[in-house]
Amino acid sequence: MEIKQTALAGTLESSDIQIMLSQGEKGIHFDLTSDVKKQFGEDIMATIQSVLQAYDIENVLVKVVDKGALTPVIKARAIAVAQRALDLKDEPNWEVL
Amino acid sequence: MSERVDVFKNGRAVSLEAVLENREWRVAKQEKLEATFKEETVVAVKLNMPGAIKNSPAIQQLFQAGWQLFLAELSTWEIRHLEVFSKRPTGPEGFLVVTGDLTAIKKKAIAFEEQFFMGRLFDIDTMAKTAPDYQLSRRELGFAPRTCLVCDDDAKACAKARRHDLAAVQEAVNRIYEEYFVIDPVIPAWNEEMVKKAATFACLAEAVTAPKPGLVDPLSTGAHADMDVYDFIDSSLALENYFGLCLDAGRHFRGSQLSHLLTAIRPSGRRAEELMYLATNGVNTHKGTIFTLGILIAAYGYASRNQQSPSLSFVQSVVSQMTSQLLDDELAKTVAQADSQGNRALTAGEQQYRDFQLTGVRGEVVNGLQPLATVGLKTLRESRGSRNERLLNTFMALSGSIVDSTLVKRAGDPKVTAELADWVAQFNRLGGANTEAGMRYLKELDQTFVARNLSMGGAADYLVLTAFLGRLTGLL
Repeated sequence: MEIKQTALAGTLESSDIQIMLSQGEKGIHFDLTSDVKKQFGEDIMATIQSVLQAYDIENVLVKVVDKGALTPVIKARAIAVAQRALDLKDEPNWEVL
Repeated sequence: MSERVDVFKNGRAVSLEAVLENREWRVAKQEKLEATFKEETVVAVKLNMPGAIKNSPAIQQLFQAGWQLFLAELSTWEIRHLEVFSKRPTGPEGFLVVTGDLTAIKKKAIAFEEQFFMGRLFDIDTMAKTAPDYQLSRRELGFAPRTCLVCDDDAKACAKARRHDLAAVQEAVNRIYEEYFVIDPVIPAWNEEMVKKAATFACLAEAVTAPKPGLVDPLSTGAHADMDVYDFIDSSLALENYFGLCLDAGRHFRGSQLSHLLTAIRPSGRRAEELMYLATNGVNTHKGTIFTLGILIAAYGYASRNQQSPSLSFVQSVVSQMTSQLLDDELAKTVAQADSQGNRALTAGEQQYRDFQLTGVRGEVVNGLQPLATVGLKTLRESRGSRNERLLNTFMALSGSIVDSTLVKRAGDPKVTAELADWVAQFNRLGGANTEAGMRYLKELDQTFVARNLSMGGAADYLVLTAFLGRLTGLL
């Protein structure tokens, strides 16, 4: 599925993460900035990727600025940005995610 | 201590998503303020509340106390904009736009977080459009990182490692609240302007709280045919300067004998009485208040000199020491003298001392105004609802716990005190001022008081004192 619009979720406050989704070519491409990229970069991207897959988002550019967010925060921000990018007004289906 | 304090009681849990959404809301708000006020400093004040419950009546009290004090700390700068959201489910927060240097304001904020008794629960961010990406860390400004509520270690390290379970962190919050508001309230060292305003506010708050049985309020003049609520407004305004003089006397007192502090404020007290009579065309609206509040302010001034934030019990002990000679030396002597010479009419208090051995307001100050802590501030803190309802509940609780010399004078018999206890008990059974039945009962009582020409001036004075300290501690 393609996203409908560029979307942003999260802030640059400490222990938060900001994720921006925009129209991409083929596949999911990441642009990640994080102080803990070395240790946690892969984990952060995996968490976001699994959420995007649950929403069937296939071709997208994911710009991420991480400020030391914990996994539940990353997941919640990823869900919020996916909902906004797809213009979904319904409550997210938490059980599936 | 009768029951444990639970700051989180009656709060509603919020989800992680709600907290995260609120963070986006806050950042958007801050950005908008920065864009509108390009040259100024934007300040965001919020609380660090562990767990899912981030707002409750007690949490709002706590926020209000700190917010008021922080505003006073910023009083040297011009405040261009102010917004408070005390009821947000994700926790109370406030925004300010201040005309002042970013670094100087940030330092004030950190100093507040460090020095205010509950400062550890506050999180104050400062930012300015003129300095984008400018992150002032505590370390850069020469302060240590914020400490954990439980173990005083670096807070971030504890949070990351999840070193303490939620219950332990919430218990730490409860303890801070308990120490500040409950066990022995801490009174910040306010500047003179704030103290004068708090005292005048207290006088006016007492006057407008309604319906007070037998007393003057906007609904009725009670059992006082010679005055109305406008006299109370006039007289309250006339006393503002006096309150400042009392504070000043306390703050600059250098002697070792605290009874000399009372001597020092006496001429101001006499002058204040004159001003009251001038303002009211000769009606006694605030004589008791001039005496008790003047002494309390002077004692607080003494206890808070050199910018110390005293505990209530310390202020009370100063009140007691200031007035220690009032009973033995003065009252007994005056009464004995008047009896042998018959050259001066005794005041109501003096008469009651002679006839019933009641020590009245003198006894109250000599004992350090005990009901202020045990009844007044306690009821004000625990009572919910509008400010009028809380002040009525406080007033009734106070009236039931003191021997009111005005009431005894009017009744001509100290047995009226027992009768009053029944009325207060009935008021409480009906649910107090928070129920319609309770409010109706107060109006009925007012009729009874008017019919029997009764009035509770002593309890009204205590309500003024409670409102004053409620202001200074942030409860009101």
